[in-house]
Amino acid sequence: MAEVMWVQDMEKALARAKSEGKPVLLDFFNPG
Amino acid sequence: MGAVTYPDSRVAEFINGRMVPIQMLYDAQPFASTYNVKWTPTMIVLDGEGKEHHRIVGFLPPDEFLPALLLGIGKTAFDADELDKAMADLDKIITAYPRSAAAPEAMYLRGVVRFKKSHQAEPLKEAFEQLKRDYPASEWAKRATPYGLL
Repeated sequence: MAEVMWVQDMEKALARAKSEGKPVLLDFFNPG
Repeated sequence: MGAVTYPDSRVAEFINGRMVPIQMLYDAQPFASTYNVKWTPTMIVLDGEGKEHHRIVGFLPPDEFLPALLLGIGKTAFDADELDKAMADLDKIITAYPRSAAAPEAMYLRGVVRFKKSHQAEPLKEAFEQLKRDYPASEWAKRATPYGLL
């Protein structure tokens, strides 16, 4: 089964988005 | 989202292929303040500079979330004046997810993209006619009403 491969660091996410030409999906969640 | 939508293989494959996904707690600072998060789940589509282009608040099932993400990607391309890229994702929403909540906005925005590419008024009028025909009760049909006069 596929899983979303979440990035944990915003700077890394933005850098990857720029280098790969993709938008970022930023998900705010509440575990409770 | 974590129990139903993200585990869906179509959703996971789409996100991994088309986006860079990052997840954080609703109160994680400074980002919760930067993006003014007041409720969960909140999903925001950003460009590589961190600028917001689309926001989804509240749960969506896979068949609504996928077109909502496509709309976010299309709006990000539209805002960057990447009109051909925007058009491809907007077309995909309309053809693959015509019954989704994202479809009327995609149809409206597609008309705007076609107008920007052609500098002709006809695409705007066509968008209004299509919205009136396919999504007459949508807010996007109302927003397109002036184009019916062109």
